Amino acid sequence: MDDAPSPCVDVCRMNAATGWCEGCFRTIDEIAAWSSADAAEKRDVLRRVEARKKEALA
Amino acid sequence: MIALPTSMRVFERGWLSSNNVFFTDDHRTALVDSGYATHAQQTHALVMQASGGRGLDLLVNTHLHSDHCGGNALLQTAFGCETRIPVSEARAVEAWDEDALTFSATGQTCERFGFTGTISPGDTLRLGALDWSVLGAPGHDPHSLMLYCAEERVLISADALWENGFGVIFPELEGDSGFAEQRAVLDLIATLDVRVVIPGHGAPFSDIAKALDIASSRIDYLRADPVRNAKNALKVLIVFKLMELRSMRVEALLTLVDQARAMRAAADMLSSDRPAIVRQYLGELEKSGVLTLTGDVIGIV
Repeated sequence: MDDAPSPCVDVCRMNAATGWCEGCFRTIDEIAAWSSADAAEKRDVLRRVEARKKEALA
Repeated sequence: MIALPTSMRVFERGWLSSNNVFFTDDHRTALVDSGYATHAQQTHALVMQASGGRGLDLLVNTHLHSDHCGGNALLQTAFGCETRIPVSEARAVEAWDEDALTFSATGQTCERFGFTGTISPGDTLRLGALDWSVLGAPGHDPHSLMLYCAEERVLISADALWENGFGVIFPELEGDSGFAEQRAVLDLIATLDVRVVIPGHGAPFSDIAKALDIASSRIDYLRADPVRNAKNALKVLIVFKLMELRSMRVEALLTLVDQARAMRAAADMLSSDRPAIVRQYLGELEKSGVLTLTGDVIGIV
């Protein structure tokens, strides 16, 4: 299995302003689709998540 | 990635919230387990997303631990959905009997909810245009159930089987039998033709033989010395509480361990000095990078 692990950190609260989860920085679409996404799609999500984290902390 | 029938979808959550399995067919939408109370808004949003705004018609619980039924109240209010719970919990839920329900015993919270029906071992449920057999799965919790679809060879195992183990054997903390039941559940799963397991926590997996081997070794290990189960239970319950609160004072945790029956029972199996054993475990959890300790404030990493 080369699937990426879920980035969930058990915060699980959507931020209305950003549309991202306050814990893992995924959108609701990305969270809902996570377990049916293939490895490449998961890595894409994780890349977007990293970018959003930087944006949120900037 | 593991392919599942198109009529079902797994919302892989974390540890504070169990996974949720969403089903849709021409007749209704359904959800198996609803996550933790503080995550209920996100569970609601996931249902709205996956249902295309159709909402939820039926909610089913594998068992009534707060990480599996904490979203029930909000989903019932939002959707007026039917709700089916394990039959042996019906009386406790009807009366909201705090002693019989596990929320206060584990130091956790769950908003009161109702139910419209029950499920029992031997029942067949129609979810996502597929037939699911209800199987008894005591061990982790005496009332716990699993769902098995023979046609698609899919097992929704709840906390009876994970890719790397299974849930705390709670009955054993308070002198009741649970190890023998858990062993029997593993033996039952081994008789089923299963292609995919959807566990209560973690990603769906397909190497069932390996998971059963790991679980089998683990039940032998716990059974050989029940203190091991108590140690795991106390650590899990402490971390769970920290996941919920994100930070708390050591004193508040010590009070919680005194008050919450399962935490207290686990601590008392381990030591005659409750505060000392809790502080020892906090130190171990800090060392393993799970928790932080800053003065008398505990945080979660």
